[in-house]
Amino acid sequence: MNAAIIGVGQSAYTRRPEPGQTTHTFIRDAVVAALRDAELDARDIQGMAVASFSLAPDAAVDLAWKLGLSLRWLLQDTNGGSSAMNMLGHALRGVETGAASAILVVGGDATGLGGYAKVAANFNIVTQLHLAPLGHGGPNGVYALVTSRQMKKYGLEKSDYGQLAVAQRAWAAHNPYAVYRMPLTMEEYLAAPLVADPLSRYDCVPVVAGAQAIIVAHPDRSPRGRTPVRVRAHRASFNHDNQEGDGLQTGISTFAGELWQAAGVGPQDIDVASIYDDYPTMVLAQLNDLGMVPGSDLARFARRDVGERRFPLNTWGGMLSAGQPGGPAGGLNGISEAVLQLQHRAGARQVKDARLAVATGYGMTMYRYGGTAAAAVLERME
Amino acid sequence: MTEGIGIWRCVKCRAGFFPQRLLCPRCHGDEFEPDRVHEAVVEEISTIRHMLGQTDWQPRRIASVRTSDGQRITVGLADDSEPGAAIELFEEGTAPFGKAKS
Repeated sequence: MNAAIIGVGQSAYTRRPEPGQTTHTFIRDAVVAALRDAELDARDIQGMAVASFSLAPDAAVDLAWKLGLSLRWLLQDTNGGSSAMNMLGHALRGVETGAASAILVVGGDATGLGGYAKVAANFNIVTQLHLAPLGHGGPNGVYALVTSRQMKKYGLEKSDYGQLAVAQRAWAAHNPYAVYRMPLTMEEYLAAPLVADPLSRYDCVPVVAGAQAIIVAHPDRSPRGRTPVRVRAHRASFNHDNQEGDGLQTGISTFAGELWQAAGVGPQDIDVASIYDDYPTMVLAQLNDLGMVPGSDLARFARRDVGERRFPLNTWGGMLSAGQPGGPAGGLNGISEAVLQLQHRAGARQVKDARLAVATGYGMTMYRYGGTAAAAVLERME
Repeated sequence: MTEGIGIWRCVKCRAGFFPQRLLCPRCHGDEFEPDRVHEAVVEEISTIRHMLGQTDWQPRRIASVRTSDGQRITVGLADDSEPGAAIELFEEGTAPFGKAKS
């Protein structure tokens, strides 16, 4: 293995960006932080991957220009919530094949709430033609229907989703970047106003402005004294079922067995998990697809493993508490947290002796649910 | 308002699709003919009570329905139909809607 994640960085997150704060400035802040973390100079970067809903009309090369990066490897990814994981896979291969010695992977958005509403209504042609004219509420409406389906199929109650929201908020208390850090009680969760039945306020990921970056390079480039994090296995899926299923199985279900086999470990070996959490529904669906929910008993898993804090899930607070700076950077958030945990740099939220992590991405709500998914098993290199 | 919802039927294997595809996902045939489907059963519903970026939003209902031809589609609900109800389908422009069978 000749590629590892050697640095992570992020910008501030904010619900309402100030004048002068743009997608580009948030991305710059994340890039500067990642370079500092990796103890690299911008001149060391030979490749860049970027994903953003709000970079246009600029493209990746424009961003390279504005960052003063002269590159030999460049990628722009359009896979929403799985963009981060997708870019990580490409970057690993880019470094391993010698296309670039150090690759910056960055995602960020600063759409504002109104801007995000426009993104959601124009997500693709199908959304423009067949969903937005209904007033479908963007992803909230789509996943409200998926959630009702999941509740019926698995016998879940509203409070089961609350277990995830409450537990993740407890983790967020230890994350200075999280936009919501105050403790959340189950009573508050259940009393929150409905947004799109059965989803209420704390089921819906809060849109924020911000950016996140990681740096992939040969492990020898890791800062002195710091343990690099390698990826034992990585898999992705795109349009796994032509939108003809029920949305309760993500693309992860198509590769989970192969992922664990390639990683040489199993779900029971995982110390910490970063599961893409635009909605608690999809966290449970992905965990189930990964084979991490014994007997596919989602209710028991939510109540016992998450509710009783037996399983370290989304330990930075997840996007549900830390905020979602667009899907792409949201996915990078989970990868970055996995890296910090495996490097034992997660401070008050550190999972003791963490050695193995799983991280996922899920996104691109094409019509009835997301059509992209990816996952990786990450390991602390001893 | 147009009665029924337009679907696209693969000429080769006769499977019907909504939304429109370029190749049939079942047989990869490349020729489709227009067809219409008129009835469906409601499977799940949601009331959209809040719309990001809008302050004067009026709640509206959407539903995931299974059409009589087998497609699972998302429609706007024009009445208070509940899961399990049989509905008739109609279109407003390109938007699919449903209401209780008259």
